[in-house]
Amino acid sequence: MGVASLVLGILSIVIGLFTTGVFGWLGAIFAIIGIVLGAVGRKNPEKQGIATAGLVCSIIGLILCLILYIACAACVGGAAALM
Amino acid sequence: MHAYTNLFGLINIPSYGLMIATGVIVANIIAMIIIKKSKYDLNDFIIMEGYCLFGAFVGAKLLYLIVSFKDIQWDKIFDFNYFNNLMLAGFVFYGGLIGGLVFVFLGGKIHKINTQEYIRKFIFLIPLIHGFGRIGCHMAGCCYGRPYHGAFAIVFPENSYALPGVKLFPIQITEAILLFTIAFLMIYLGEKKNYYYTVEFYFIVYGIVRFILEFARYDEIRGIYMGLSTSQWISLGLIIIAVGMIIKKKRQK
Repeated sequence: MGVASLVLGILSIVIGLFTTGVFGWLGAIFAIIGIVLGAVGRKNPEKQGIATAGLVCSIIGLILCLILYIACAACVGGAAALM
Repeated sequence: MHAYTNLFGLINIPSYGLMIATGVIVANIIAMIIIKKSKYDLNDFIIMEGYCLFGAFVGAKLLYLIVSFKDIQWDKIFDFNYFNNLMLAGFVFYGGLIGGLVFVFLGGKIHKINTQEYIRKFIFLIPLIHGFGRIGCHMAGCCYGRPYHGAFAIVFPENSYALPGVKLFPIQITEAILLFTIAFLMIYLGEKKNYYYTVEFYFIVYGIVRFILEFARYDEIRGIYMGLSTSQWISLGLIIIAVGMIIKKKRQK
């Protein structure tokens, strides 16, 4: 769990930093799964260290992806761009 | 107003995303303070929040796809660029709320966590983050209000989603203030008064607020059915569900 969380967290940071929001949705999903796996991993005292690292990386990745990706979560914007 | 915010003269970042991220950070700091004071487990809270975020993403996108079903070119759905643009385009808040709650219950079942207890304690996070999101709407100029010439009317500049150069009702800021009020009332009721019906309170009060404010919205792309918008129908649904939950609980007592 902890290793998976760390991998997903690092992936989300890379996506957040280097795709300028284009694949932010993917990075956000990776980060959220990383957060859940990190928190689950932290319940195992032997693997707590790596799980905490995964959790922290995933949170940073999520924040980066949220900032650059989310356009307008509360409204039905963006439809015009598809037409 | 300021669709992009310049940070320290170094980088321009979208204000909406910045406000949402700020909301998530502030909400979590408040949640951490409450967790420290109480018996709640931090890891369980993080797991629940992760499920909630994932469900909110899926639900908000799903409702957006339903609402704008006719505008989407479904024959191009397997074109990667089109699919990516579709994923980047809008979300609908109410879809996120419903999806988030469904996934929290799912997460609770999978990880054997007392979901109800966490939802009742931390549901104030939703209006709190939503309030920051509405400030982001104001900065991006989306979700704008009707033309209006009274007090506090605002005029958006060119290149914003809102009608430029026209005095509009400041609906985003109005909703943000009301959402913060709801969130802090819920914190007060939950922490000081040990109030049980926090979820029902949120559903009813926000349902009424959103139902009324929808009449002052002027952005075009929103489904209208029998004179009411999708959000107004969902508001009515939430109010009815909340009243039903209160009646059920009272009968159990």
